[in-house]
Amino acid sequence: MYAFDYQRPSTVSEAAALLAEGAKLLAGGQTLIPTMKQRLASPSLVIDLGGVTELRGISRAGDRLEIGAMTTHAAIAESADVASAIPGLCKVAEGIGDPHVRNRGTIGGSLANNDPAADYPAAVLALGAKIHTNKRELAADDFFQGLFTTALEEDEILTRISFPIPERFAYAKFPNPASRYAMVGVAVAKGPQGVRVAVTGAGQNGVFRATDMEAALANTFTPDALKGISVDPSLMSTDIHADAAYRAHLVGVMARRAVAAAAA
Amino acid sequence: MAVNMRGEVVLPADHERVWEMLNDPEVLRICIPGCETFEPDGENAFRAVARVKIGPVNARFKGKVSLTDIDAPNSYKISGEGEGGVAGFARGGAAVRLEPAEGGTRLVYEVEATVGGKIAQLGSRLVNSVAKKNADAFFAKFAKAVSGETISEVEAEETALAAGETQ
Repeated sequence: MYAFDYQRPSTVSEAAALLAEGAKLLAGGQTLIPTMKQRLASPSLVIDLGGVTELRGISRAGDRLEIGAMTTHAAIAESADVASAIPGLCKVAEGIGDPHVRNRGTIGGSLANNDPAADYPAAVLALGAKIHTNKRELAADDFFQGLFTTALEEDEILTRISFPIPERFAYAKFPNPASRYAMVGVAVAKGPQGVRVAVTGAGQNGVFRATDMEAALANTFTPDALKGISVDPSLMSTDIHADAAYRAHLVGVMARRAVAAAAA
Repeated sequence: MAVNMRGEVVLPADHERVWEMLNDPEVLRICIPGCETFEPDGENAFRAVARVKIGPVNARFKGKVSLTDIDAPNSYKISGEGEGGVAGFARGGAAVRLEPAEGGTRLVYEVEATVGGKIAQLGSRLVNSVAKKNADAFFAKFAKAVSGETISEVEAEETALAAGETQ
């Protein structure tokens, strides 16, 4: 490895004070460390959030479920609080990567990275969650701003995610068999904010809401309500695994599966 | 892996001006996303350094750029070969053609590129999307440049954008 400085603060304010030009926050390291090993990033300072205990944990507060940014996918998958409030969210966490990734990777790291094929962005957007940082709170709709881009500023730290508890929620994905990243993933929620459908893995510009599907499902919350509704293939991404037309098709299939699972 | 992309954009300027801008290294430097230097290196050849900053990736790439098949003021081929060091390689070209269009000049581009090494491994899911995003950013800035805004205006706007840039 090449040389870089390493700090392990124990509070959010200490971590924020360390953030400066050339510094990078390390959550679970499932993206940052491989990127550094490939020499595609060379931060001068790595600020490890692993020692910041206030960023971990899951709690039920009235009609909301609160999850700390440094909570691992494994902890979310196994949480009794998550299982009783939003069981579909346990399934989202369970379906990420492999046991290694689930035991190291965190929900906050995944959201801050906003990989266009990650699972959590779809769930968080469909559920209409609020993203809290050390400076402010953001609606999910304002947080995600395209491929690997979020509303987070360079000196801002994502602290927790606050989910309203939906009546129904499910996520269905077509995973890449090697990486288990979503080739297409669709999250569907029915709750205090109406019906929301969010799609990951497919759009050229990252996670997006499928508003035509939302309107149809607001009338009738059944897989059949989605018949004849398609997404525009010219907005879908193409790579060696799937072209845009195939991805557009998969969005419809995954959406129907998600609705069927949520309605069950 | 190969990246193929085609597109067109109607620029609000006359044919001659668009051609002139397409051959101006300073305009190209400002319009290429992340480009830090773009210097002449022989006739119709340049050396460029660009910083790619997307998601976890934050790396600087050096490359050679050359213009060939020049049919002034109608078309050329711009080819580049990047050396990302251990990160991988990228080489490719774009055939660029100008046509008259209502309200200005239509620029048609066809990109063919090959990406290899670690960049391709890490980013095979993303290379097309990133390439498209960068092409869109290039033409958005290029359209501003040809529509009469001076380079310093475009640059100032760029600096303001970068200052408010979010991640």
